Amino acid sequence: MALQDPIISPEDKVLVTGASGFIGTRVVGKFLEHGFRRVRCFSRTSSDLRKLDSIKRDYGDTAEIEIFRGNLLSREDCRRAAEGVPVIYHLAAGTGEKSFPDAFLNSVVTTRNLLDASLEHACLKRFVSVSSFAVYTNRNKPDGRLLDESCPMEEHAALRGDAYCYAKVKQDEIVMEYGKKQGVRYVILRPGTVYGPGKRAITGRVGIDTFGIFLHLGGSNKIPLTYVENCADAIVLAGLKKGIDGEIFNVVDDDLVSSRRFLRLYKRNGGSFRSIFLPHIVSYLSCYLWEKYTLRSNGQLPPAFNRSRWHAEWKDTTYSNEKLKKLVGWRPKVSTSEGLARFFKSYEEGGKNA
Amino acid sequence: MLKVGIVGCGKIADSHAWAIQSIKGCEIVGACDAEALMARQFSERFQVRQFFTDVGEMLREARPDVVHVLTPPQSHYSIARQCMEGGCHVYVEKPFTIVTEEAEELLGLATQKNLKVTVGHDAQFSHATRDLRRLVQEGYLGGPPVHMESYYGYEFGSIYGNAIVRDKQHWVRRLPGKLLQNVISHGIARIAEFLCDQKPLVIAHGFVSPSLKSVGEEEIVDELRVIIADQRGTTAYFTFSSQMRPTINQFRIFGCQNGIFLDETQQAVIKLRGHRYKSYAEQFIPHANFSRQYIGNFFRNVSRFVAKDFHMEGGKKCLIDSFYCAVISKTPEPIPHNQILLTSWIMGEIFKQISRKGASCEADSVRGGEISTRTHAFASIDRLQK
Repeated sequence: MALQDPIISPEDKVLVTGASGFIGTRVVGKFLEHGFRRVRCFSRTSSDLRKLDSIKRDYGDTAEIEIFRGNLLSREDCRRAAEGVPVIYHLAAGTGEKSFPDAFLNSVVTTRNLLDASLEHACLKRFVSVSSFAVYTNRNKPDGRLLDESCPMEEHAALRGDAYCYAKVKQDEIVMEYGKKQGVRYVILRPGTVYGPGKRAITGRVGIDTFGIFLHLGGSNKIPLTYVENCADAIVLAGLKKGIDGEIFNVVDDDLVSSRRFLRLYKRNGGSFRSIFLPHIVSYLSCYLWEKYTLRSNGQLPPAFNRSRWHAEWKDTTYSNEKLKKLVGWRPKVSTSEGLARFFKSYEEGGKNA
Repeated sequence: MLKVGIVGCGKIADSHAWAIQSIKGCEIVGACDAEALMARQFSERFQVRQFFTDVGEMLREARPDVVHVLTPPQSHYSIARQCMEGGCHVYVEKPFTIVTEEAEELLGLATQKNLKVTVGHDAQFSHATRDLRRLVQEGYLGGPPVHMESYYGYEFGSIYGNAIVRDKQHWVRRLPGKLLQNVISHGIARIAEFLCDQKPLVIAHGFVSPSLKSVGEEEIVDELRVIIADQRGTTAYFTFSSQMRPTINQFRIFGCQNGIFLDETQQAVIKLRGHRYKSYAEQFIPHANFSRQYIGNFFRNVSRFVAKDFHMEGGKKCLIDSFYCAVISKTPEPIPHNQILLTSWIMGEIFKQISRKGASCEADSVRGGEISTRTHAFASIDRLQK
């Protein structure tokens, strides 16, 4: 897709955090594909740089790919990394597993450090913050089953028991706060389930294997998939397109498949395993009972299952990418059927494409 | 109402907040972290009215009675001292301090100011450990402990373990004892509880496992074997391993009549009968006896779970509750000062020895020096006892 009148010139340097990660390497690749030439890749000292090195080799002298080793928790590293860059693509995030402080530290404190650094240099034209579908409550939506950008964020994110959700909600809040109070021009992207070669885990929206057997919870629900290259395309475009400051975009592909179909394909291609389907009424009731017991027992069971999580992950929902298409001009280049074929092919090849 | 302050709003603070808020008659009145956002997120999630970035300000504004020091160990001493000088009782997360001299100073200051102080050896207060302690106090061993074995397993697969290996600037690497200093307190404290000397013999052998070496790690010692002996004749082995499977957290204590086995992970306590049955009976009856005990442990755990008294951080809650009781009723702390010091001293000895031996110790073991090291160890114990 051609990009007309971007906010920066091909000679401007952009910063990509999480550049050596699953999505980050594709963002760097897509950015260069669009004809831009200079990118600073922020990466942890311990990150594997083989994929970035491969991109460097592909572009040779025609592009300047600077590897910046550092830690986003260091204000000084952020200050140096943000120097002279008009666009920051902020992809780095901490999952924190079950730890709220860890997830918060690695998502919110790092984001604040970058925002402060960009204010210091006063050359930022756009801060692209990559968030997640996890921030949506999926309750009290204006359009019934449709989940789009108008769906409210989880108000009491900590109560969902999901550290990642909490951290991403707080990350979005701090970006919006800097937009409002400090005038930072930002765009927030919220990808659904990003998949592609290099990522093997089944999304929790399909089911969980917490109890030793895979519980299939999605059933006929559509899974909000976005193929990693489509997602990277959306992120790159959101950093370059004029007139979208302060907007939030969901990133989800067309022609989504159901949870049941995804699981069937996964078993066929990724190796068979036993699973049990739990109808929605059963999974909802289980979440309700777990939530009640967690409260009554003062946390003897962790708050891993509750109604908030059920609504967010296992409720029958439809998704829209209309806003992204309309305002950014994005189209998923790789169809879902093609994306799934590539994804499962990487399994057959034993993760060679990973 | 006992007013509590929290310093350090990282991962461990969550379990403290849960435990404190589970105890009647206390309230968290202030949270402090050098990073304001961390202090804010903690105060939001646990409904704490005030948050701070400066300890002194928290002490002045929130006026806590007790402060929990939950920062990285390098700052335990200075923050605990500041809090005690401000008149607060102090709960310090493990490891208590970086060096024993600091521990001595803090405990001396607490005595001088008539303040209570404890350390986060919460594993000492789990259900199973309390059961074991009760048996020992009832005289089940038949006298002072003759020998103890403490095993502490560790897995690098966790996100925390991975972070230490990946991040060469991780704060754990800056501790004198590195990873060991942050994790072996629980295993050493179990032994320290039953020793009588303040400075027992300690012989340590530590090395970087081949598994860690294969990923280029050279400085994190993740395999440790220690022999400890006091003047009374009580001996102990301590084993820390990241490679042994299963990953165990166990303790055995033997007296002159009987022994006791504790599995901390499974929350099981098994009595080890000292006398043998006659003839073939020894091959049959003990199995039935062990089965009965394991079934007993199963039902005990189930009944505690049903009674909603089987939380993952139950030991921490019990320790904090006991500490607060000591503060309110002015009774002795749940962990005596001499145990805190002894744990600190043993750990200090271990780190001194493994840093001194370093590479040479490892080379010895490759050449078969292990045998001579052990011979030396037992000769030393023999000399000590004479």
